[in-house]
Amino acid sequence: MQTLRRGLLAGFLASLVLAMFDFVRDGAPGNGLPSILHWFGIALADPTLSRWAGFFLLIVLGGVFGLIFGALQRDKLITAGRALLTGLALGVLWWLIFELVLTNIMNHASSPFSLSFGRFLSSFPLDVLFGVLLGAIYVQWQERHAAEAS
Amino acid sequence: MGEHTAAAPITLSERSSNGLALLRIFVGYLWFQQLFWKLPPTFAGLYAYVVRESQHAILPGYGTLLQHSFLAGCPSLSTPTGCTAFVPLAACVWTAELVVAISLLFGLFTRFGAMLATILSLQLYVGLAYSLGEWIWTYGMLVLLALFLVAVPAGRRLGVDYWLAPRLQEAGQHHRWARIASWFV
Repeated sequence: MQTLRRGLLAGFLASLVLAMFDFVRDGAPGNGLPSILHWFGIALADPTLSRWAGFFLLIVLGGVFGLIFGALQRDKLITAGRALLTGLALGVLWWLIFELVLTNIMNHASSPFSLSFGRFLSSFPLDVLFGVLLGAIYVQWQERHAAEAS
Repeated sequence: MGEHTAAAPITLSERSSNGLALLRIFVGYLWFQQLFWKLPPTFAGLYAYVVRESQHAILPGYGTLLQHSFLAGCPSLSTPTGCTAFVPLAACVWTAELVVAISLLFGLFTRFGAMLATILSLQLYVGLAYSLGEWIWTYGMLVLLALFLVAVPAGRRLGVDYWLAPRLQEAGQHHRWARIASWFV
């Protein structure tokens, strides 16, 4: 239970960092957030509502991935190396599912795996960063709680 | 006789260390975003800036250096078509910026990334800070931010250096390469 809760919170925080990136991009702040709704075929007419809905969906997805991360640890204490590697793997999975397959399906691309260099570069490092942050936040919390308990 | 009082060593709290790590991540994102207006294979977005640097550099001789390297053989000031060395040299700049972005975003050999960022920012300051329409502090702040990240081990929280630093320090007791590598985390 402890690992699930820790994973959930780490997922929320890691996805919050990704969401914050959208407030320092060119154009209007939050411009990229509606694309998160687009992964699931959701389109809202109101641009402000669309940004907020995208923001919350991103945080929820981060929480779901955090729960998966926590579930994988099976209530055990894990090493920093394992946490970072598991996070990295989940980041790659996030990229595969959302940025590659779902985006291509929703854009009616010729293949669910079609990809340009620019799209790869703009999405892959940030999704892997989400995973690394998830693992890093999780393991830092784990070590802090272990230190407080001893 | 004056009384000597040693200043207490500064220890950052976990909260401050995580705050520094967040700062590092956002500076990394700053560098990451700047990769996209000068993408390979042409790196064309960079060309106008190199031309401006060659015209407004504050360091004597720097403009000439750019004209004889990046801009060698360029027939036009508006397009890099026909330049002999622009693409390979621009590729080096772009790759260096990618390394900075990855290093700072992931907290991977963060101090190395910050050193590289300092060099790249200094180069921008020398070439562009006093060119028309630029605010000198834009590049000045970029240099200061990079220097700040050289000074503090910002990758040791929320980054790969959290895992790497203790291992390199331990290996550094037996191997010189590990000791050298540990300077960069």
